[in-house]
Amino acid sequence: MKLLLQFIATLIVCFILQTFLPWWSMAFGAIAVSYWYGNKGFQAFIVGFLAIGLLWFGVAFYIDVSTHSILTEKVNKLLPLNSFLITTLVGGLVGGMASLTGALLKAK
Amino acid sequence: MLPMKIIKILSSTIITLSLIIFLNTSWNFGAPIPPLGKFLDPFHGFWQNAETEKVTDKNLAIAGLTEKVTIVYDSTLIPHIFANNDHDLYLAQGYVTAQHRLWQMEFQTHAAAGRLSEIVGEAALDYDRGQRRTGMVWGAENSLKIMHEDPKMKQAVGAYTEGVNQYIKSLNYEQLPLEYKLLGYQPEPWTELKVGLFLMNMAKTLNSDENDFEMTNALKTFGKETLDLLFPDREAVSDPIVDNIGGWKFKPVTFDSIPLSNGVEFVSTKPLEKQPKGIGSNNWAVSGKKTATGSPILCSDPHLGLTMPSIWYAIHLNAPGVNVMGASFPGAPTVIIGFNDSIAWGPTNAQRDLVDWYKITFKDKTKNEYLSDGQWRQSIKVIEKFKINGKPDFFDTITFTHHGPVTFDRSYHGDTQKNHYAYRWIAHDGGNILRTFYEFNRGKNHTDYMSALDHYYFPAQNFAFASVAGDIAIRVQGKYPIRRKDEGKFVLDGSKTSTEWKAFIPFDQNVMIKNPERGFVSSTNQYPVDSTYPYYVHSNNWENYRNRRINRVLSGLSNITPQQMMALQNDNYNIQAEEYIPLLLEDMKTAQLNDEEKKVIELLHNWNFENNATGTASSYFEAWVTELQKAIWDEMEDAKVSLPFPSDHTTWWLLKNKPELSFYDHQKTPEKEDRKAIIKIAFHKAIEQVGKWEKNHNKKADWALFKDSYIRHLLRIEPLGIHAINGGNSNTLNASRGSWGPSWRMVVSLEKSGVKAWGVYPGGQSGNPGSTHYDDFIKRWEDAKPFPLKFKPSPESMATSTFFTATLTPTAK
Repeated sequence: MKLLLQFIATLIVCFILQTFLPWWSMAFGAIAVSYWYGNKGFQAFIVGFLAIGLLWFGVAFYIDVSTHSILTEKVNKLLPLNSFLITTLVGGLVGGMASLTGALLKAK
Repeated sequence: MLPMKIIKILSSTIITLSLIIFLNTSWNFGAPIPPLGKFLDPFHGFWQNAETEKVTDKNLAIAGLTEKVTIVYDSTLIPHIFANNDHDLYLAQGYVTAQHRLWQMEFQTHAAAGRLSEIVGEAALDYDRGQRRTGMVWGAENSLKIMHEDPKMKQAVGAYTEGVNQYIKSLNYEQLPLEYKLLGYQPEPWTELKVGLFLMNMAKTLNSDENDFEMTNALKTFGKETLDLLFPDREAVSDPIVDNIGGWKFKPVTFDSIPLSNGVEFVSTKPLEKQPKGIGSNNWAVSGKKTATGSPILCSDPHLGLTMPSIWYAIHLNAPGVNVMGASFPGAPTVIIGFNDSIAWGPTNAQRDLVDWYKITFKDKTKNEYLSDGQWRQSIKVIEKFKINGKPDFFDTITFTHHGPVTFDRSYHGDTQKNHYAYRWIAHDGGNILRTFYEFNRGKNHTDYMSALDHYYFPAQNFAFASVAGDIAIRVQGKYPIRRKDEGKFVLDGSKTSTEWKAFIPFDQNVMIKNPERGFVSSTNQYPVDSTYPYYVHSNNWENYRNRRINRVLSGLSNITPQQMMALQNDNYNIQAEEYIPLLLEDMKTAQLNDEEKKVIELLHNWNFENNATGTASSYFEAWVTELQKAIWDEMEDAKVSLPFPSDHTTWWLLKNKPELSFYDHQKTPEKEDRKAIIKIAFHKAIEQVGKWEKNHNKKADWALFKDSYIRHLLRIEPLGIHAINGGNSNTLNASRGSWGPSWRMVVSLEKSGVKAWGVYPGGQSGNPGSTHYDDFIKRWEDAKPFPLKFKPSPESMATSTFFTATLTPTAK
């Protein structure tokens, strides 16, 4: 349950932070949320990874659909990986590491 | 020892922070990598550059405006700016242009200023040094000084700059153009100098072509007689722009003749990269006598480098005293090629020899003093700093003489301490050329057109003109140094002032004509005037085919409609082929051919000489001629020094009239080849080449695919470029060749009941690859179906064609 709560809270908090602040603000959101819930380190990492990964994927997907993939197709040819995949991975990795840090801070 | 917990927390924190820093920084591992976290972040990164097609009206508060400005966008995203005064008009022009083209504006002016290394790294350093060493910035500064002396231009350039800067100030990372995000940098403030730099780019493209080093080497290699045969001043072809035999009644300025060149020695210095062969433009205006409506029609079609984003930005400018529409430069105020309620104008390039190289004799290695008429003159040294992305700064000392900057010395393209060449170029002198366009924009009649052109110094152009009042005209305008025969073809002796430019052709003695008998004026980039014109006219490259095609077609037409003119702009008929093919096929008659070769001969025999998009005859023809020229001029190709190549037309003329020319013999083979032999060898090579292409691409070598009209992105990023399907070639009116071609096709019908106009360029109004307007003009351009331009006098009258409206209001004081 606490894992699900951390997941939802990370999504919401980081969505709000990123709407107003630069991309790395989500790391601080993820740390704070993870600290609050105090899940186990590895689990916190996975939750953070999934939450930010989903957040970034979701927003990117929404933009892609509403613009008929006009830019995604071009950028896909520029990047070594599919732009959704790389976006999800990069966001997820930072989110996961931040959540891990938050969890470790809390751990007794 | 630290407890385990602290170690875990520390390492996790450090990894997280390092990750963030790593992903927030640009890297260069062989290829530049943007700050990935920043770039991929869907809230602010590249995803945000994808635009939806839905738009809403906007209200924007802009500092610096004096009154409200209304901008109506039509469905092609062309802005129609309605302002209450000149200042606000040009401020708004700067603002909207930046909105769509900011990255391009900055990139192209960085290129002009020799600052590309700041963006793309060391690979651009040689180019950047070349730009500074040919005086690009110096020329821009000189132009800006002159513009500042003119209160109207000072205001226009100032307001435009303010508008661009207002837009830059409004940007945050989220809204930055994609290219900034990709390369990980930020726009800097726009300056008035950048307007001058943009114009220098045009001057370089249009008015800097020369081959003085090559010609000097050719003179030494082949001697004057052969040189005059291969590079005649006037080829025995072409209709001049103005044929006015015996009509030049003025008294020309004359000078004593000078000896030819400086003793003639080889130039081992590697010349700068040349503009591609065959660039140029078409324009014409037909009088009401020849049109269906009885009103003149003007057609303009400049051929330039085709890039994404395009060199043109279409715009409509309206304020008290001005109502003008057409193509503008993303980087300068006013409409450059366009029309208003009374007149229309369009230029083609009118290049002559506007460049000289002076060999400088320095007193010693310090280069502090150089010889001039037996005296030692002081040089000026300027230290130029080059910032290089990813590398320490580079410093270059440039020596200026009174001729201009010493471009080539030992540190730049030179090989010995002895060879120093100073660059003299018309664009160094500066000029108030925007004033010409400012006056065209407001022009009412032929008199206004003429006085506007008196401000025009460079890049020299053939300006076609037509008016609602019924006049048509053309004037070859630019500041042309008065040349003595052969002067400026070769490297000049910089130690003698007798070789310098002494005066320019007075503007009223330039080549021009109004309402000629034949009922039309036209120009491509051909030799401009009949042989009775009293000045020596020389260029390294004249157009020999398109001019004849235009005149041939226009002479035969009457009751002309704008649609016929659009078709003529897209005409693929190839006079070069019409001349070459019979000659080539005649020599192939006796050749032993296999079945495949026989088929190709048959194909060419039945060809209608049109370089249409589909069909392979033109592919074989172009490959054949290219191979043939390579085979004939292998003496030039394989020489140790740089040598010039004779023109397509001269090559044909020689093949036809000089069947015994020694150049036909291929240097590398022991046999002695004659004309027939090399034509046959070239034919085999062409078949091989086309066959190879077909094998590699696994399809028929249709002409459009074989030549590939590629409109590349300015950064040469492949996925952002466009491969267009287009026929034509540089010798056809549809002068579409590789990355060069028709850049703004405009047709204007100057009817008394209201001016009608059409226009299209390959690209789109938006410079954003994430916009549907990035490339939405391409199809229309391929099909030669220009858009009807919505030219209305007020925002209200635009109602039916309004896409959305932006209202700009002054910020509260």
